[in-house]
Formats: sequence, C-alpha cells, structure tokens
Amino acid sequence: MATLIQQVINGLSLGSVYALIAVGYSLVYSILLFSNFAHGGFLVIGGYICYGTLRTFGTGIWLSGAIALAGAGVAAVLTERLAYRPIRERTNVTLYLLIASMGMSIVIENIFVIVAGGRFRALPPVIPTAPVNLMGLATTSAFDLLSLVSAVVFLGALQLFLSKTRWGLAIRAAAYDLRTAGLMGVNVNLLISIVFFVAGALAAVGGIFLSVRYTLYPQLGAITIKAFVAAVIGGLGSLPGAVVGSLILGLAEMLTAGFISSQMRDLVVFSMLVITLLVKPTGLFGKSVSEKV
Amino acid sequence: MSGYTEGIIILLCINAIAAMGVSLLTGFTGIFSLGHAAYMALGAYTTAILTVQHGVHWFPAIMCGGIMAVAVAFFIGVPTLKLMGDYYAIASIGLGEAIRLILENWQSVTRGARGYPGIDPYTTLPVAAAFFVVLAICMFNLINSRFGRACKACRDDYIASSLLGFHTARIRVISLMISAFYCGVAGALLGGFLSFIQPVMFDMLKSTELTAVVVFGGLGSMSGSLLGTAVITLVTELFRPISQYRMLIYGAVLVVIMVLRPEGIMGNREFLSWVKAPFRRRAG
Repeated sequence: MATLIQQVINGLSLGSVYALIAVGYSLVYSILLFSNFAHGGFLVIGGYICYGTLRTFGTGIWLSGAIALAGAGVAAVLTERLAYRPIRERTNVTLYLLIASMGMSIVIENIFVIVAGGRFRALPPVIPTAPVNLMGLATTSAFDLLSLVSAVVFLGALQLFLSKTRWGLAIRAAAYDLRTAGLMGVNVNLLISIVFFVAGALAAVGGIFLSVRYTLYPQLGAITIKAFVAAVIGGLGSLPGAVVGSLILGLAEMLTAGFISSQMRDLVVFSMLVITLLVKPTGLFGKSVSEKV
Repeated sequence: MSGYTEGIIILLCINAIAAMGVSLLTGFTGIFSLGHAAYMALGAYTTAILTVQHGVHWFPAIMCGGIMAVAVAFFIGVPTLKLMGDYYAIASIGLGEAIRLILENWQSVTRGARGYPGIDPYTTLPVAAAFFVVLAICMFNLINSRFGRACKACRDDYIASSLLGFHTARIRVISLMISAFYCGVAGALLGGFLSFIQPVMFDMLKSTELTAVVVFGGLGSMSGSLLGTAVITLVTELFRPISQYRMLIYGAVLVVIMVLRPEGIMGNREFLSWVKAPFRRRAG
C-alpha cells in the first residue's frame, strides 16, 4: 500500500513535469497546426542556462530559474523568427514546418554536444530532495512534491493568462482560427512570438525539474516524445487534454516501473499511444473529427 | 576495384534503397516519418535471425525481413494514417524507440544491446547492385502508375482526391507499407554487409538521416532522392575527421533547405525530364 501511494505521488510528479512540456507543445500546435519537434530543444536550453548560471555566477535558484525561463523563451522566439516565419509566410504546407522543426531540434542538441560536451551533468543541490513523510502513509521526496506544486502554479498562471488578459483572449481566438483572428486586427506575428515565448518558458521549467530528476545532457530533449504522446492521448491542440494526458502517462509509467519492470515503462507509453489512436483517435479532449477522411 | 571503393558502392546502394522508400512516403505521399530506422532494424534482425539460427538461405530471409517491416507498418499505419495531422509523425518516433527497446531487452532472441554478430557476409557488390536496380525499376514505374498519381493527389489535396473517389487512408497505408518494405530490405542488406548489427545503429539519428537525404534531394523527386543519397554518403565519407559536426550539419541543412528552397535540389522533377526538356516542343 505504501509503495502504491509512493508510486502514485511519483507518477503525479513526473506527469506534472510532462504537463509543463506538453502544454507548451499543444499551445503551439493549436495555433500553427504543426508538431514543433524543436520543443525538446527549448527544455535543454533552459536546463543548461540554469546549470551555467548556478555554476559560474553562483546565483540562487530563483534568479537562475528566472534567467533560464527567459532565456529559453527568447530562444523559442528566435527559433520561430529564423526558421518558421519565412516558411509560414510563403506557404501553408505544414510538412515544411515539421521538417524545419526537426532540423532545429537536431541543431540545438548538437550545439550543446559541441559546446558543452556530451557529459551527464548534475545540477548543484539547489532543490531539496530530502525524504518527506506523508502523514505516516508513505515516504516521498520533497522534490516530487515541489515539482508537483510548481507545475500547478505555472499551469494556473497560464490558465489565468489565457482567460483573463487581452492577449490570452487573442490566443484563444487564434487557436480557433488564426486567419480570422488576424483579420479581426490581432497582430498575428506578435501573437505567435508570445505563444513561443510562453511555450519555451514552460519547457524550461520542465527542463530544470527533469535535470534534477535525471541529469542534464544534450539528448535530454528526447524526453519530449512522452509529452507529445501525452498531448495525443489528451487530444492534440487541447490544453486541458495535454495536462490530463500527461498525468495519466506519468502515473502509468511510474506504476509500471514500480510493479512490473522499469524497462517496460517506455513500451507501456507507446502502447497507450497506439491504443488511444485505435479507440479514440481524437484523444480525450480532442476538438475536431472533421479531418478524418 | 579496391575493397574500400567497393564498400562505399555497396553502402551507396543500401542507402539509396532506403532513401527510395522514405521518398515515396515523404516526398510523394506527404507523410513525415521519424522512425524509418525501425523498419531497417526489423529487416536486419529478421534476416540475421533467420540466416544464423535457422539456416535459411539469405534471399528468402531478406524477403522475410522486408515482409516483417511491412507487417509492422500495417499495424502502426492503420490507426495513425486514417487521421490527417501529425499523428503518424509522433507514432513513428514512439515506434522507433519501442523497437529499439525491444531489441535491446529481448536478450534470448536478439542478443541485446551488445549486438548480433556472425551474420554471413552475403551482401556482395553484385547482390547489392542487383537489389538496387530491381527495386529502383519497380519504384520508378510505381510513381508513374495509377498508384503513384493517387499518392501525389493525396499529398496535394486530400479532400479533392477523396471526392474523386480515391480511398485516401488506404493509399496512405499502402504507401507506408511499400516504404517499410524498401527500408526492411535495406536493413537486411546492411546486416549482410557489416556482418554485425546492433540496436543503436537504428536510432533516431539514422531515421533523421534518411529523411534529411530525401528532403535534401527534393520532395517529390525520386531521382533527387538518389542524388541526395549519393551526395550525403560521399560527403560523410570525405568529412569523417569532423564527424562530430555531422549531425549539426544535417540539422542545419534541413532548416536551410526548408527556408530557402523547400523543394530541394531537384524540385519535384525527375532527372530524365530535365534532360529531355530542351528537346521537347513547347505547347502552344
């Protein structure tokens, strides 16, 4: 029983980190309708900026975290400006955007391989990982609880931003129909930049937590595959779907690791993807089935 | 001919077979894949296990490798390709990772992450060249057949083509299965060429390389894909000393081509049409 509770908390904590990544990815998908494979790169950029500032300047985790968020956000905006905007302005073939995003993902990963080296790096002990006893029911690490709480805070802030501000309204309109939103006087290029900034910053939060949970290395971005899968399970382009899908995925992964075998966890993730596509291809909260031909 | 040159030509044939498969899928049917190395792995391991453990002759074993890849492609393609959008692209990454994990962990059959040694070196230059020529003739006929046109119709406008009576989902799945067959055969030949295969040879970098070659050569041009393969294989050989920059260059090439010339070197034209063009009478 104690193991079960512990694995559920671990699963929720891992799922909440996936959620941070999946939400940003889903947000971009809902506006531009393509899978941004460079999203994993933003996470790695965030992780390395946090590591670098902690190591070289010895700043506290709050300042380093903030710099990492801003840095990854700016990197995401630059990626969009350099690689996606020229394609977006010329054609509406999303396959080209997809290929360019794959290229950007490789470029970002290999810049870190060359500059920082392929070594595994551990973040300095800035986030407490001491064991915490939960009302005598189970023991879990403070880190798991902390990552759960921060994910809730950031996702709550995103929800507030989307529902209460004018730009949030514009983003929701653009998710509905980008062209019409543009015709209504929304500055589409600025809006897309804002979306990428938000997506990059959220990915950086995920990246910092992932590099504490595992370690930091250039290929860490590959973990976004799971966020993509979570977004499909929840319904591509749907933000609540991305969160729910991530939590389900995190739980499934940790329960498999705890009770079956840790080598099976990635296979479970992939089978869940195939089952979702077979049973309910639009995912849990998918918005349109009209594409099916 | 020295052994080194011969090796490069064999490798060129193998890469070209795989590139033709990916080209049919990405260039002609408009489906982006990030997991085609998984089909190569399936072909390579099926053939290796059949020839080494069951003593099957290499030719039927290679065919079985291709068919194995087709079967898996069917299983993945049917749920994902019914939907437009990026479902197959995401599923293909998952597929690539899952196949690699199975190969690494199913010790009793695949001998795990340390690799599968002792495969007969059946891929000699004539074998590789013969496979390449036969498969190339099939592919060039295929893309000009009814089916090839149907693929292009689905790529360019799936609503219009479904209104014209094409079963778009079926065409997309069949296109994936054919491309999986080509990659399976290429993987099987690679196993016979190196006499040794390892799960890590078929990781996401390999998949990306396959797609990069096709994009570089030109989406929608089969001869462009072959040209792209030739250029990239030879350039990789030339720049072996700076191989740590190889992936960076691949990535940058993908982005730069998409930004500057999304149609690749050849555009959607075939080499022959280029040669013939000056001799053709202008219409009108």
